[in-house]
Amino acid sequence: MQQLDNNAALRNFSALVDFSNLINSTLDLNFSLNNILLTCFGKFHTTKGMIALLNDEKYFEVKVSKGISNNIISKFPKITIHNYETSGELSSYIEENNFPIVQDIKSSEGLKGILILGQRLTGKDYEEEDINFLKTILNVGSTAIENSIMVEKLKRVNRDLDAKVNQLSSLFDLSKEFSGILQIEMVSKMLVYSLIGQMLVSKYAVISCAANTLHFLDNRFDENHLRNSLKQCESNQFTKPLTRNELIDKYKPFAEVGVDLIVPMQIKGETKGLILLGKRKNELQYTKSDIEFVSSVGSLAIISIENARLFKETLEKQRLEKDLETARNIQNNLLPKSIPKLSNFEIAAFNKSARMVGGDYYDIVKLEENKVLFAIADVSGKGVPAALLMANIQAFLKSICKMKMQLAEATGLMNDLVAENTTMGSFITFFWGIIDNAKKELTYVNAGHNPPLHIRNYNITKLKKGGMILGVMETMIPYISETVRLESGDAIILFTDGITEAMNDKWEEFSDERLETLALQKYEESAQNILAHIKFNVEDFTHGAEQSDDITSLVIKVK
Amino acid sequence: MAEFNVNLRGVGSVSVIDVKGYLDAHTAPELENIFNKLLDERQFKVVVNFDELKYISSAGLGVFMAYVETMRENKGDIKFSNMKENVYNIFDLLGFPILYEFYKEEKEAVYKFGDQR
Repeated sequence: MQQLDNNAALRNFSALVDFSNLINSTLDLNFSLNNILLTCFGKFHTTKGMIALLNDEKYFEVKVSKGISNNIISKFPKITIHNYETSGELSSYIEENNFPIVQDIKSSEGLKGILILGQRLTGKDYEEEDINFLKTILNVGSTAIENSIMVEKLKRVNRDLDAKVNQLSSLFDLSKEFSGILQIEMVSKMLVYSLIGQMLVSKYAVISCAANTLHFLDNRFDENHLRNSLKQCESNQFTKPLTRNELIDKYKPFAEVGVDLIVPMQIKGETKGLILLGKRKNELQYTKSDIEFVSSVGSLAIISIENARLFKETLEKQRLEKDLETARNIQNNLLPKSIPKLSNFEIAAFNKSARMVGGDYYDIVKLEENKVLFAIADVSGKGVPAALLMANIQAFLKSICKMKMQLAEATGLMNDLVAENTTMGSFITFFWGIIDNAKKELTYVNAGHNPPLHIRNYNITKLKKGGMILGVMETMIPYISETVRLESGDAIILFTDGITEAMNDKWEEFSDERLETLALQKYEESAQNILAHIKFNVEDFTHGAEQSDDITSLVIKVK
Repeated sequence: MAEFNVNLRGVGSVSVIDVKGYLDAHTAPELENIFNKLLDERQFKVVVNFDELKYISSAGLGVFMAYVETMRENKGDIKFSNMKENVYNIFDLLGFPILYEFYKEEKEAVYKFGDQR
């Protein structure tokens, strides 16, 4: 009897040594679990068994099973480390399926899982001795299981780390690439490739928002749908990343197009663009770390995109400035280069544009011996459009001069030409006159221009006769002209509203009164001097304030 | 500056793209041009031979994502072959093996297209 017991103990012992050697030779969890089950099967002559381990959430999860149908496995109760002894679900599951053995698998760290075994083929019950042997196996096995679990965890952590490192190196790559590119299309292309490679998506869109307009830099969604969806939702309301559930809840149109993630691209907290991504091909949701990656790449890209945009803008501005400079030169050439000399008259003129090109115009043309035509005009508006219109006026004036018409009639023709050639809302205040040197006469027509001042004996007469401003409509009522006899010592001062409306830093205008007072004080001086006084006084008045309108003045003095 | 070379050749009805050197955000457009050319010529069966590729960045991987759907919609595919371990690791890390077929030898990949006929 003693001999028999000894033999049995010896067999148990050698089985145990074998098992221990085997199970500690590997770090493969499935291999360990399989071996524990198989060792039990061999030792106890049973054909059914399973091992459930606690997962990270502390739920039991069947890791390996043998001889048990999938149906039964799938019914394994959802129990946790906290309630597996108390809930009764486990015991009823075991009773239902006739599993006589449930053993805890414990390591030094605590409970790891449970082992369940079926009936023995021999029909015998499990003896106390068997249970003890089983416990020993599990004691040895639990350490191996724990090690394997640790290794699996480490592998997972390692892989996560690898993924992070890869994302970082991707970011590093891109930041290098982005910084050297000033083409928006290239930046968006690189951005897209990195995103779809890293996230495994094939549907995407990159949109930049500048000055409230959206630019689709790249898009693989249905563009019309997307535009409509964006119209419904202002782009500046996207201030943080939106994932699938938020999109379904609040931005349904996007979810319907297939957008699974929206990440804003921001500069200093202001949304300058959006990255839209579709579902990932591996069916996974975007994790926090994925969104962080998209966000970082997006921030890098938008800075490059913004730089590229600013660079382009600067280039365009430079080109425009160059154009304006050319225009300015052309315009300067339009103004008379020299002033005709007359025996009985002195003429002086001055013009200064508020911008590079302006809308003020004056001209002095010698018509025939003893006759000189002069004109002053102010085109509505400023800058390039006004300058273009002004160039037109100059051309009209030069051709009309050659036609030798009466001034009043010529003014009517001038108005028709301007009305025909301007768009709605543009108009010109215009004054012109012809000086007869021999007769000392002035014939003029005033088409809505600030009336020039005629000063004689400290008395001002305003030259108002004429008609409507030019360019509003075709000539219906003929313009009328007036002829004024001039005497020695008379002065005529022509000006544009840039002078009377010149503003100082207290928002006060130079005003007609100031000009008239000045005219009375200085009209006895030479034409050149009168003009110099006007210039000086206006500049003195506006000192420090920016010139807001073109300034032009013409002074005629009768010798 | 990192070198990248791409070469296109036909093996039967299959187009084989040889990639060589460093495929990153900077060089990705070159590969993209080849794919655009294939689309123009309506060649949808593609094997990419990675034998001489030293490095690939995620932007490089992105190019394959950008074209694979069109290839598949036209009864073609993009298959990969002759990949070095360090290159494969990046593909693996980003989950490509569930979406693409990888072969040790170009011959096998080309042969697989034959199967689908």
